[in-house]
Amino acid sequence: MKVIVILDQIQAGLGGKERADTPLGGKRLAMGSADTLEKSLKKIDGEIIGTFYCGTTYYQDNADLVQEKFAKMAEKMAADVVVIGPTYDYPEFSKMGCELATYFNEHTSVPVLVATAIEKNEALITQYKASLMIVKVPKKGGTGLSSALNHLVEGCQLATKKEDMREFKQQYCYS
Amino acid sequence: MQNKAEKILMPIATKLGNNVVLRSLRDGFLIITPLIIVTSFFLLIGNFPIPGWNEFWTGVLGSKWSGWFSAVSNSVFSFTGLLGCFGISYAYGKNRGLQAVNASAVAIISFLILTPTSLTVGKKTVSAIQTLYLGPNGIFLGIFIALISVELYRFALKRHWTIKMPEGVPPAVSQSFDALLPSALVIFAFFLIRIVFSLTSFETVYNFIYTLLQAPLKNVGNTLPSALLYNFLASLLWCFGINGPTITNSVWSPIFFVLTQDNLQAFQNHLPLPHVFTQPFIDIFTTYGGGGSTLSLLIVMLIICKSNRVRQLGKLAIIPGIFGINEPIIFGLPVVLNPIIAIPFIVIPTLNTLISGLVMTWGWVPHTNGVLLPWTTPPIISGWLSTGSWTGSVLQLFEIILGILIYYPFIKMLDNQYLREEAAASKDLDIDFSEV
Repeated sequence: MKVIVILDQIQAGLGGKERADTPLGGKRLAMGSADTLEKSLKKIDGEIIGTFYCGTTYYQDNADLVQEKFAKMAEKMAADVVVIGPTYDYPEFSKMGCELATYFNEHTSVPVLVATAIEKNEALITQYKASLMIVKVPKKGGTGLSSALNHLVEGCQLATKKEDMREFKQQYCYS
Repeated sequence: MQNKAEKILMPIATKLGNNVVLRSLRDGFLIITPLIIVTSFFLLIGNFPIPGWNEFWTGVLGSKWSGWFSAVSNSVFSFTGLLGCFGISYAYGKNRGLQAVNASAVAIISFLILTPTSLTVGKKTVSAIQTLYLGPNGIFLGIFIALISVELYRFALKRHWTIKMPEGVPPAVSQSFDALLPSALVIFAFFLIRIVFSLTSFETVYNFIYTLLQAPLKNVGNTLPSALLYNFLASLLWCFGINGPTITNSVWSPIFFVLTQDNLQAFQNHLPLPHVFTQPFIDIFTTYGGGGSTLSLLIVMLIICKSNRVRQLGKLAIIPGIFGINEPIIFGLPVVLNPIIAIPFIVIPTLNTLISGLVMTWGWVPHTNGVLLPWTTPPIISGWLSTGSWTGSVLQLFEIILGILIYYPFIKMLDNQYLREEAAASKDLDIDFSEV
């Protein structure tokens, strides 16, 4: 199972809020917090073939470009599934995640999962929960991250095998 | 192992984090923290730890100058019990779904009802309130009053024990009448409490709470095992992605707060500083650069590590790290759910607590003066300001270097793993988005 993870500059390990102008980029390995997800993925023979990153302000200013580039590159690299996040309770990154996921759904055949926290994101989740798979994760520093990552991996498996995800959505996603 | 620890820890952390009383205590103290930080500066300027400081400014500004500054610092430090009651009742009222300002108002009145209002001076009895009752010694009393008064107020509101006003009465007026009966219940209850205690050997609730609760808890909290447990748990929880201090503070913050205020009062009165394990001790002498003492980790990453990702993160995170911001490294390295880094991340703050605790107990470094510095104050400076001695800075420097030595083998392990990954992908690892 080949997974691509999309992160903002903080989660990719490229600095703090002051680096929100980081342009889009990517590496063919698990960067920053994707490293934690990779450990869980490896247990089920999954691997992260690339991490795409983009600063949140850069994304806001160049949303069309970033959406198109990320979607085309994920298809080119033949990803089985794309994971965006965990975005925790960072509202800018969460918004970026939902918008990117929507673009992926509309323009590619690659399944996509967003992982975000409800805190500071209530309106956003209400807007996107019907059309997207938004996996529940705790807020930054909240309890239950480890099990949330396991759910995310389970979601990746189901999405890759193109299995029915209704029960998964009911149990582990905002629905 | 990690899963087992998580299974045991998670339910406890979740319960503590969600407990409305503990959350309100933590949030309530946070409400008054800005006031404490600002007035701390006035206290520090009035008592700056340099020989001849007082004499110099007396020569320039006259003998009254220190009184100007202590007027400001006293405005908070002599009333921390009352202010704590205000903050906690506000937070608790808000968390319980009440109008927070109303909750605060009844709590303050309840506090004043229980406060002795006469004072014997020589043979005369005069009407006066001693700040003794309103300051640090009244903090636990303030906590209890805040919780009980708000709970009583809510009890009455929930049962709709309110006076209904006819339609057309302006909302401000009807809201005021809504508060009438619940306020009456609270006031009457505290009226009775005051009478009951006046009939006992304690005479006041203040004496009762201070003797039976505040003093014993203070003694338990002001110990090395208590501080060690605090920092061990705070760091351990971070490794599971949980903001450890928000959980541990909900238990320890009232105790550390009282201990800090005691030292501050002694500092203000030029008396020996009584306690070692204060909030500034925890903030300034146990972790450097944020939870896990990650400033030491950043220094190793910058100086010794070779992999691109570790070095790059080190470069980006060092400046925020000096000022105690370690979000980039917690999530970016990452520390969260990373078993290799978890070991030093837990060991170093615990070891620092042990060393600083012993060194201060032995008197090699003075106790912290209780001045609450902004948490972004860099180490070395904070060590000096909080103890008034260069030995405080030396202790910090020693512990930062010790942290470097302990972090070294662990981050090197991670660095080597990243180097192998980078070498394995012998071609350029960067993804070229111009190709699409």
